[in-house]
Amino acid sequence: MCPPHFPHHLPYLSLSLPCPPLTPPCPRVPPGHPRFFNQLFSGLDHHALAGRFLTETLNTTPYTYEVAPVLLLMEEQVLAKLRELVGWSSGDGIFAPGGSMSNMLAMNVARFQRFPESRSRGNWDLPRLGLFASQESHYSILKGAALLGIGTDNVHLVRTDERGKMIPEELEKEIQRVKAEGSEPLFVCATSGTTVLGSFDPLDAIADVCARHGLWLHVDAAWGGSALLSPQLRHLLAGIHRYVPPPVPLRRCSPSQIPGLLQRCHGMGATYLFQRDKFYDVSLDTGDKSPQCGRRADGLKLWILWKAVGTRGLARRVERAYLLEQVKRREGFQLVMEPEFLNLCFWFIPPSLRGQHSSPEFWDKLGKVAPAIKEKMMRRGSMMVGYQPHGSRVNFFRQIITNPAVTRRDLDFFLDEIQELGRDL
Amino acid sequence: MQVGVCKQEMLQKKNAVLVDGVILNGPIMDSKVGEKFVEEACKIIMEEVVQKADDVTEKVCEWQAPEKLKQILDLEMRDTGECHQKILQLCRDVIKYSVKTNHPRFFNQLYAGIDYYSLVARFITEALNPSVYTYEVSPVFLLVEEAVIKKMIEFIGWEEGDGIFNPGGSVSNMYAMNLARYKFCPEIKEKGLSGLPRLVLFASEECHYSMKKAASFLGIGTENVYFIQTDERGKMIPEELEKQVQRARKEGSAPFLVCATAGTTVLGAFDPLDKIADICEKHGLWLHVDASWGGSALISRKHRRLLHGIHRADSVAWNPHKMLLAGIQCCALLVKDNSGLLKKCYSAEAAYLFQQDKFYDVSYDTGDKSIQCSRRPDAFKFWLMWKALGTTGLEERVNRALALARYLVEEIKKREGFQLLLEPEYANVCFWYIPPSLRKMEDGPEFWQKLHQVAPVIKERMMKKGSMMLGYQPHRGKVNFFRQVVISPQVSREDMDFLLDEIELLAEDL
Repeated sequence: MCPPHFPHHLPYLSLSLPCPPLTPPCPRVPPGHPRFFNQLFSGLDHHALAGRFLTETLNTTPYTYEVAPVLLLMEEQVLAKLRELVGWSSGDGIFAPGGSMSNMLAMNVARFQRFPESRSRGNWDLPRLGLFASQESHYSILKGAALLGIGTDNVHLVRTDERGKMIPEELEKEIQRVKAEGSEPLFVCATSGTTVLGSFDPLDAIADVCARHGLWLHVDAAWGGSALLSPQLRHLLAGIHRYVPPPVPLRRCSPSQIPGLLQRCHGMGATYLFQRDKFYDVSLDTGDKSPQCGRRADGLKLWILWKAVGTRGLARRVERAYLLEQVKRREGFQLVMEPEFLNLCFWFIPPSLRGQHSSPEFWDKLGKVAPAIKEKMMRRGSMMVGYQPHGSRVNFFRQIITNPAVTRRDLDFFLDEIQELGRDL
Repeated sequence: MQVGVCKQEMLQKKNAVLVDGVILNGPIMDSKVGEKFVEEACKIIMEEVVQKADDVTEKVCEWQAPEKLKQILDLEMRDTGECHQKILQLCRDVIKYSVKTNHPRFFNQLYAGIDYYSLVARFITEALNPSVYTYEVSPVFLLVEEAVIKKMIEFIGWEEGDGIFNPGGSVSNMYAMNLARYKFCPEIKEKGLSGLPRLVLFASEECHYSMKKAASFLGIGTENVYFIQTDERGKMIPEELEKQVQRARKEGSAPFLVCATAGTTVLGAFDPLDKIADICEKHGLWLHVDASWGGSALISRKHRRLLHGIHRADSVAWNPHKMLLAGIQCCALLVKDNSGLLKKCYSAEAAYLFQQDKFYDVSYDTGDKSIQCSRRPDAFKFWLMWKALGTTGLEERVNRALALARYLVEEIKKREGFQLLLEPEYANVCFWYIPPSLRKMEDGPEFWQKLHQVAPVIKERMMKKGSMMLGYQPHRGKVNFFRQVVISPQVSREDMDFLLDEIELLAEDL
């Protein structure tokens, strides 16, 4: 699957420019492979792929109706559909180049809504703001705080329970504490589907806290939002409709419930692009509500996928998730916690360490196991799965299955392979 | 897909397992059917877009009013999917009603045309679907990005440096602004701006509007972007910059950044970088050059003088997807500082992604110097194109585009009714068309008022006819004028003649 090549071996690829003859590089680690479980994306969807080929060939930016009529209308349609899933009958939205950017947009819009003059005056004479997110939240919240001039110190990470879910009482406490210190709480980011553990924050309870304090509730559902498609799984996001605005995840867009807010927050009305005297209804020129100018037309691939597969087809994909039972049955595999979603986190305990939980060096030694197995699997090229330390927990594997091409055999292989590679550690 | 097969049957096949009401056995996607779909879709793309790309007899756009277009397209997404034939027809419709930015007579934006190597590269990256954050997940594309950044830095004239590819020149500008701010006061990353002196930055009045968007986004505030007067050619006046910096100091604010523009959006003007760099050095200000549009002139030995002094910049934004046809999006931010400033400014060191105990040299995991997490391998298409064409091939493109612009300017001067706004330095040719009925009119407010209405009408007619697309705008007190931009190597001299003929034709009765 991935013939191993390490940085010092790769120069054979002739990266210097220009240098005939033309030598196209070969892919090494294809995320389309059924045994690529390394990230929160994988698989190859043929419809979306055709959509992407088409997007590339059309080569344009959906900022105005005149330049990209079809793509712009399509984006609006997709955004409306996503809002429907969230439970809103109206609202707004925009596609962004990544969940990180969606989170940052939301932060900016929240700041603008509370302090509209900050758009022109800046932050410097505002009080210190307070942002809240769970300890398990995505790191883009910190990056966003830094970029927006709010400061990473002003991101208050709220404690989570043993299942990785934000504790609403702790959120309340943090808000009170921050207020007492003289800061102004502004924004709470709840996460639906955390990156490592796949946990879902209790949205209703958190919305109650936000309502009490008048705070903007943003739901980072970049990963877990797709559960909204499934009648079986949507309960995980119960309460998502209650506030504004979640970035719904089926790739990178951030709907917002207050029409016009995005435009007022980001719009600059550049006269060379958003002329008012065009011969069609210029309210269709929605590009100005983005902080970007040029932008990829990301809506097309999702639209084609949705047309081909239907909402029910997409739901089936989300539901077809993990083989938790196998992990529980096999010796040497230990779950980090019972998963809610598609993140299956576990340790592999090699024979040499089994039964030694009480030994003081156990965890230290266990922490070295995952990196060693990862190295072996990559050198062998048989599969890829991610590992990480997390909080006080030593390195564990995070198995994620989003690829509809994965079979049960692949999952059995996955466990067999880990056992084999870790056998004599 | 196994539509219509009952659950029992499926459970019996090949030891399937039922978990939580979901049947787990084979994949739920029929790959063979999917592959065939991709092949057929590619065929349509080839026939309807790629093969027609340079055909001037095809329409540039198939104009439809929005309400009508919504009906034609069947945009609704339903519970059940549609058959492949229907989806392929939808693809055809999408193509038919989309604007053909590849067409030789699409002059509307600062991008146009088609590069076949870049297109193939993009098909490859779409099929592979990578994200360029770590070496383990994206070894080739990460190294390619590094090599391309290194090469671009060479053209700027730095011995070493750093950089990253971004989703847009606007984002590059944002990066630079934040980087300059971080350099000025690293504590802002943690503490934010609250309670600090008011930061101020400077840009020309012709700069791209992303400077304002960035200032707002970063919490600096649009009011704290001081716009510097430009001369009659649209270039920043250095003496005015000096005045403004002094003024900002007197006010007690904290100047930290000057953004010069190499190739402004409307006029295609180039700020005098050497003089501006002198002022920045004198006052200890970060110099960022927004060369999103004009940066590609660096590739041309003939025209690189437009950016003379660029090596003195601290950061440069450069978009190969504009003049070099690398394909949207392909935008680089280059940084002179080689001490890891980008990383220090942006990193968050997420443990699930940037583990320090990997079995290879983790300094290759460069994703943490980005604002983004997932990121597209945008450098690859530029790299493949560069490999195919060589620097000389790219240089030829730039030279030709500018030569065509020059040709158009000379033709405009010869033709009655056409009036240049100013003598262009780059590929932006800005002009008015004065229809016969207005030619005898006296210069005055009434004349300009009437002239202002001419371009929108001509634009409407050209779009409904589908013969070409060309932008217009009012600008700095000047009424609506056309902005012709020449980029694509598929554009011919005849297309320039056609442009002028067509405007005359469309405006005959105005």
